[in-house]
Amino acid sequence: MSSRDVILQRIRSGLTNAVAAGFGDLREPPVPEVWPRTNPDSATLVSQFRTELESLSGESIHCPTMTDARRQLAQLMETATWPRLGSLDRPLTRELTADLPVDRVDWVTSDWTPPQIEQLPAGLITADALLADTGSCVVHCSTATERLMCYLPPVCIVVARVNQLAEHLPAAWGPISKTCAAKDSRGEIVLITGPSRTADIEKILILGVHGPKRLVVMLVG
Amino acid sequence: MLESASHLNGAPFLKDENQGLYEPSPQFENLAKVCEYSSKSNTAVAAAILYFQEWREAAHQIKKYSIANLDKLLVQFECAMKARGVEVLFAQDAAEANRLVLEIAREHNVKSVVKAKSMVTEEMELNHVLEEAGIRAIETDLGEYIVQLAKQRPIHLVTPAMHFSADEVGQLFHEKLGEPYSAEHAALTAIARKRLRAEYLAAGMGVSGCNFAVADSGTVVVVENEGNAGLSTSTPPVHVVLVGIEKIIPKIDHLPLFLNLLGRSGTGQKLTTYTHLIHGPAPGKKLYVIFLDNGRTKVLQDPHAWESLFCIRCGACLNACPVYRRVGGWSYGWVYPGPIGSVLTPHLVGLEKAGKLPFASSLCGACGEVCPVKIDLPHQLVHLRHRAVNEPSPMNSAFERLQWKLWAWAMGGPRRYGLAMWAVRIGVRMAKYLPWHPDKLGAWTRGRELPKVPSHSFRNWWQERSSQKGKN
Repeated sequence: MSSRDVILQRIRSGLTNAVAAGFGDLREPPVPEVWPRTNPDSATLVSQFRTELESLSGESIHCPTMTDARRQLAQLMETATWPRLGSLDRPLTRELTADLPVDRVDWVTSDWTPPQIEQLPAGLITADALLADTGSCVVHCSTATERLMCYLPPVCIVVARVNQLAEHLPAAWGPISKTCAAKDSRGEIVLITGPSRTADIEKILILGVHGPKRLVVMLVG
Repeated sequence: MLESASHLNGAPFLKDENQGLYEPSPQFENLAKVCEYSSKSNTAVAAAILYFQEWREAAHQIKKYSIANLDKLLVQFECAMKARGVEVLFAQDAAEANRLVLEIAREHNVKSVVKAKSMVTEEMELNHVLEEAGIRAIETDLGEYIVQLAKQRPIHLVTPAMHFSADEVGQLFHEKLGEPYSAEHAALTAIARKRLRAEYLAAGMGVSGCNFAVADSGTVVVVENEGNAGLSTSTPPVHVVLVGIEKIIPKIDHLPLFLNLLGRSGTGQKLTTYTHLIHGPAPGKKLYVIFLDNGRTKVLQDPHAWESLFCIRCGACLNACPVYRRVGGWSYGWVYPGPIGSVLTPHLVGLEKAGKLPFASSLCGACGEVCPVKIDLPHQLVHLRHRAVNEPSPMNSAFERLQWKLWAWAMGGPRRYGLAMWAVRIGVRMAKYLPWHPDKLGAWTRGRELPKVPSHSFRNWWQERSSQKGKN
């Protein structure tokens, strides 16, 4: 008998005892609501998201229009003196970087190696949803390159539209749950809540231990 | 220092505890302070939530259902993950799990392994096994990295190097890595970042644990703050997940509840910095999931012990426990410390080896109150005490039984009781000579002051009072 079958057999014998003792007969518990829905307006969501993210030492830039966003990105690059920017190829990142000179954006594709991605001064990615109550970005990464773009560059820039904001995790859960359950899903969905952090030495908080030291979220709309 | 494998098989609790209690070192002073701080701040975060009690109850019910349907849910998880090209393997014990990991490493010609924090791999002593096979194993969680460099064991489930000061970490990095000494937190963290970046890029395999294995969707959930789990699981070509069979939850829709609970109870965060929901291998990568039994199915045989399998390893019970705060994680003799360790260890390694652990509690109930999945830890401890005195265990020795028999005899009648009390009064007077006792009695009395014996016992007083009343 394989170890798999031995373990399943042991579990079943344990459960038989338990049923006899009145423990095993249970109905599936309902899915809890966790947080009630209050459906706040988008201005409230934006301000809540920004407050939460900033309390975690993340940065947020709210840009009412795409033109503003392009200007803000250029300014961000100038202040930090990044010669170039690595970006995943998505409609939103194409739109955001449309004004940048061609040689200032590297389009990171799946043939990029981890050391190449590590050399980037900053990485630009998109979010599938944003959570206002925790300041989190929900990012679906189906390839290794997409995953590495979240962790390897020292600065992670996430761009998203204001209408992607949800009040909390349960409100954004529908599409996440569908992706998790789909047979053809690969890679991961990662919830990013602030820059990489540790408090392992004397409970003193330090940012950027392994992942990005800076997390900048650009909200457009 | 790292002790030999025999240490893992449930070392006697009392042997180590004397040192922690009676010769308190600054290390433990620090631990006690940090625990108290964590406990207060995390409890405050949790208590700020109106729904916290409802969440605990819901989580408890879901975990109960998971264990009652464990066989079906494991098979469901296996099917869902296999459909995405994930290899799902099962190991009956630590040795088999180690063998499986080694086989995978050899198949992919792995020279070095990066490890994200995982208590299951501590159970397996995986690092030791890999090193013996000539494969480098590097812990990447900052706390684990420190502990590994110092050749120690984690002192806490969530913050493994809680007992280190920045100065000690600086000296350690200087000695072991040849880095210039610094006691600044940021500088120390930067050293670890630089060193470990190179390791991620060179490693042939990443190993992680799993906080929740979701049955209906086939999802491996890993939560972390540093980004090391993200890097360990995405940079190398192979990712191996090691997970205890009890980590199954039925539905992906149950996950938001558990994520909300784990962050708050573990570290006082609304959500940890990175929450990874891993579906399957990215193109060109390999993903293995190894389920480990290692004594867990034994727990299932005793329905009263089920609740101990609900644990989500947040560490809240450790921070709250007055005993853990004083003696630290190593005194518990195995991988899992604190109240949950006192419950899990006797189940997993047997009462013969760890039967004393359930007695390392004041039964104050603090652990049960903070547990986010509402494990009735005090009840679990009492249940295990009951078993420890009835089954083969150190608490069921001939000497122990004789003591209780004598006690029962003495309590059986007023004359016998009087005789026993007279003996105790003499005993207490003699006790001042005990600190010179070379063995346990000496250790016990050196740090304690016994109460003064009053000149009259209550019985004397009562008798005198009655006779005076008679005279009047």
